[in-house]
Amino acid sequence: MTNTQETSASEHKHRSLKGLIADYSAIFAFLILFIVAVLLKGSIFLSVSNIMNILMNNSIIGIIALGMTLVIITAGIDLAVGSQMAATGLIAMTILNATQSIFLAIVAAVFAGLVFGAITGGLISKFGVPAFIVTLGTMQIYRSVSEYYFDGGGILATGRSASAFTAIANTKLFGIIPMPMIYWFALCILISVIARRTAFGRHVYAIGSNERASFLSTINVNRVLLAVYALSGVLVALASIIEASRLGSMNSASSGSGYEMDAIAAVVIGGTSMAGGRGTILGTVFGTLTLGIINNLMNLLGVPSFLVGAIKGIIIIGALLIQRSVSKEES
Amino acid sequence: MTDVVKMRQIEKAFGANVVLKKVDFTLATGSIHALLGENGTGKTTLMNILTGVYTKDHGDIEINGAPATPASQQQIAFIHQELSLVNDLSVYENLYLGHELKHYGLLRRREMIETAQAFVDQIGIKLDVTTMVGDLNPSYKQITEIVRALMRDAKVIIMDEPTTSLTDVEINDVFKMMRTLRDQGVSLIFISHKLNEVLEICDTYTIMRDGVVVSSGPVTPELTEVQLSNQMVGKELANSEIYQPRPLGKPVLTLKGLTKTREFQNVDLVVHAGEIIGVTGLLGDGRSELFSAVVGATAFDAGQVLVNERPVRIRTTADIKRYGIAYLPKNRKENGIVPDLNIEENMALPILGRLSRGGLIQRGQLTATVQRYVKQINIKVADVKDVIGSLSGGNQQKVLLAKALCTNPKVVILDNPTQGVDVGAKAEIYHQIMDLAKTGISFVILTSEIGEIQQLCDRVYVMTHGEIRAELPHDAINERDIMLVATGGQLD
Repeated sequence: MTNTQETSASEHKHRSLKGLIADYSAIFAFLILFIVAVLLKGSIFLSVSNIMNILMNNSIIGIIALGMTLVIITAGIDLAVGSQMAATGLIAMTILNATQSIFLAIVAAVFAGLVFGAITGGLISKFGVPAFIVTLGTMQIYRSVSEYYFDGGGILATGRSASAFTAIANTKLFGIIPMPMIYWFALCILISVIARRTAFGRHVYAIGSNERASFLSTINVNRVLLAVYALSGVLVALASIIEASRLGSMNSASSGSGYEMDAIAAVVIGGTSMAGGRGTILGTVFGTLTLGIINNLMNLLGVPSFLVGAIKGIIIIGALLIQRSVSKEES
Repeated sequence: MTDVVKMRQIEKAFGANVVLKKVDFTLATGSIHALLGENGTGKTTLMNILTGVYTKDHGDIEINGAPATPASQQQIAFIHQELSLVNDLSVYENLYLGHELKHYGLLRRREMIETAQAFVDQIGIKLDVTTMVGDLNPSYKQITEIVRALMRDAKVIIMDEPTTSLTDVEINDVFKMMRTLRDQGVSLIFISHKLNEVLEICDTYTIMRDGVVVSSGPVTPELTEVQLSNQMVGKELANSEIYQPRPLGKPVLTLKGLTKTREFQNVDLVVHAGEIIGVTGLLGDGRSELFSAVVGATAFDAGQVLVNERPVRIRTTADIKRYGIAYLPKNRKENGIVPDLNIEENMALPILGRLSRGGLIQRGQLTATVQRYVKQINIKVADVKDVIGSLSGGNQQKVLLAKALCTNPKVVILDNPTQGVDVGAKAEIYHQIMDLAKTGISFVILTSEIGEIQQLCDRVYVMTHGEIRAELPHDAINERDIMLVATGGQLD
């Protein structure tokens, strides 16, 4: 504070230009990778079907990452989203097969997601257990109970509603645009408006930035934290419906496995601070797309699948180092 | 006497904004020099140039008679308001932090303790270097910071408002140390808004206003606080009586037998409509803990809180708005400022929900509300959408004051409300409080500044060790009686 105390308005404007670059570093990272992809695999990469493929494949991580963004902005983390997705998906499929009602299946999954999220949020806010520990626990609980119940196997959509259910994710608008992408973008807009334009959204940022000051400013911190994790749970449930619909099945052991890492990576590449208080939905969208391009490019280049992880890791760390150097300059 | 620091014709601009205009500044070896001025007049910038944090645009700096070099600038230590100590390490570990004595990679613990202890003893401070810093009281944290600078061979120590969070007894400890150092040939620059302290401890002074030096010279017995503050503000400070007697209403906030083990006991207190009460005492008097429990930030064990003479249950801070209570906590940085939100969101944080229609915050209404307070309490802001960190400390404090007021409260609890606020702004804030009190709003002011109480309060409660030991009406408020009670004495 003492250093910035006497800086002028113009200095400040000057700084916020650099801040702008830092804020949109995710877009730069995305553009760089995009150009690299075009240079390496131009015509195939740019084909409509490939682009749609990238968007389709990443919409599920993209939706999970939206909730994760808000969670991380509160200076929290949710490691359980992957196994939570399997659990809510399995609940949806069970209800679907039993009742043949798509509506009930979705309601059940969303409700389950809300409850799972609220449990996480409640443990974190009410009892002050660190988010990392709580979700490390719930991650294993949801996975293990799912596996036990389905004996490590999965469940297939059967009956007369099965085809209607799989149509949710496998329909293409105008025969080109995959529906999951539409769901993803609609949710992006919704969550972005919530983050930027609602009191709840601003309280999320305030808590991540200075929880103590927020509490003393009469914000009901516990309630906001509970709501953030509950909202994240609902988004995970919606993602699980899309995933279940896309594949027509859900597996207790493999579904959603590792999704938490991809979602966290997307959020962090998108410029959200793990320390809380800073981040944007737009950044997360580009973070997700950046991850998507990396996966796609590895695929197109025929990189051995066992090596994809290593190259992905290098690019993630590289993207973050570039971001860090820009934001350091800013402060 | 030689001069350890000589700065001549220093100029500095940030972009188009000229912050320092041909500033001369001289510090004599072995002296304590006051650097005075309102918030945002360039004091901190000047010191940052002296220590090499900023580069000057023009001018010369001499240290010990030679042009300043990065090495000689290293010998100037800048001790900021926010101390840079690690609470979970002991004093000696903090003293050696980053410069540990090692032997094949292993710490020479005993040697560090002995050397540090010898060093501390030699300066004449009673301090066990194996104490955890977290267990030290604020004055000894300050002292530890100074000792660290000395151990790193500092010849000049800049202290930025070192006494704002200290009680009178603690201030004396720090002053004692400052005098000892001066006598040993160390030079000190003392930045403060407390003019009585300046007159007490400093040998010379420099006053800055709007980036220029308006006056400097020796501190003589004839020099008065009024003379200094007039030069700082640049006009005759309307030393008008702020206090005005007013008719008071019914009790709006009443505490009955409020108790929390080891923090406060059996507190009875009443605030009437339109009344300004003060609550004061020394460190550990329990006043901050008391009101932090009243607003629901912590729990209390026994007793009752009544609003408008009806008992209320405040479980968490979110409940106080309903009862028309607003709270400004002490320690701006930890408890007040949300660094990632902009100025307007910081100010309107408690009422963002109220400013929403259909779930969406009405931006126009938000800005209008904020602008009203910016004008009303004269906050110096370029753009309310700037980050809060772009404001000077005093203006940040005003934003937080506005944050308390914007909920349209009936009772406002202010803990150390003028922390880091300069003389001119202080007077403005006092006038604001008095004007609001005339409209029937009540204030509870927790402060250790007796002047603040004298200028504002209808009544003052003096606390010692968590108990209210005296209650003085406005006409009976005087420093002698308050100190007598606060230090455990009895009024006749």
